[in-house]
Amino acid sequence: MADPARIKPEAKPERTTSANEERPKSEDTGDVPATAKPAEKRESSSQDQAKEEGKADMAAGEDDEEGSASKILKVEPEKKKERRQKVDEDEIQKMQVLVSSFSEEQLNRYEMYRRSAFPKAAIKRLIQSITGSSVSQNVVIAMSGISKVFAGEIVEEALDVCEKWGETPPLQPKHMREAVRRLKSRAQIPNTKYKQILFH
Amino acid sequence: MAEEEDETGYDEELDDGSSGMDVGGHGKRKRLFSKELRCMMYGFGDDQNPYTESVDILEDLVIEFVTEMTHKAMSIGRQGRVQVEDIVFLIRKDPRKFARVKDLLTMNEELKRARKAFDEANYGS
Repeated sequence: MADPARIKPEAKPERTTSANEERPKSEDTGDVPATAKPAEKRESSSQDQAKEEGKADMAAGEDDEEGSASKILKVEPEKKKERRQKVDEDEIQKMQVLVSSFSEEQLNRYEMYRRSAFPKAAIKRLIQSITGSSVSQNVVIAMSGISKVFAGEIVEEALDVCEKWGETPPLQPKHMREAVRRLKSRAQIPNTKYKQILFH
Repeated sequence: MAEEEDETGYDEELDDGSSGMDVGGHGKRKRLFSKELRCMMYGFGDDQNPYTESVDILEDLVIEFVTEMTHKAMSIGRQGRVQVEDIVFLIRKDPRKFARVKDLLTMNEELKRARKAFDEANYGS
């Protein structure tokens, strides 16, 4: 189930691997202030040497110099980024393999999971009725997103409760209420109504 | 605990499953998200036809969640307004929601950029 919004992340790694030499240079401008300091702290040698090496790194980019402290520090953030992108790629591939092996019922459920969403208009109306002023589109997007996650947390907890009590779906109100009680004890449900005074 | 009512009798009479919750049941309020919540519950693992009462309870919970978040967001940052930064600040401790919001906002930016590039390409040709 290729998600068009997902195709881009796959295109990105290709772009960066081909433009790899450009990346270190642009990252250097951000990294030099960060790496220069530890380099100065670590290396007991004169400051001139540290500055020189910092400059050499900036100019040379990917030159294989003997591991100076600044060089190691500079390479690690790049490695992390590459690793993260590779992890994303791996995850996307694994998801594709998984989804391709779904049964029809599972495919239906997965489609519902991905596609269901709260209507933006209703959420916007709700927020505006509380604030009294208009809100930006990003706020509505963020709020609908976390509301969906919130609903998911409750349903998952309720399914846990249902299974624990040896019953079967569909979920009954008692499961939902027990789920809410558990989530409340874990402070995952915001509640600003009753404030408990611990020591007075 | 004191808020919980015994609503086994209520359910048949009112057909409004929001009573009995300490959410402060909204009574005659029109259901805003019935259809979408049904699909969502199925997607999250419930039966294909979830109970109406469960959907009602979940809707009340979601509305309460949105209300609480909105009130909190109004009280921090710029007072009286809800901004994205406030929301992100409020859920910083919850890894799932935080990651989800970051993803959504990033994707939204990408889509906007893609649409803009597409429109410009069309306009040029």
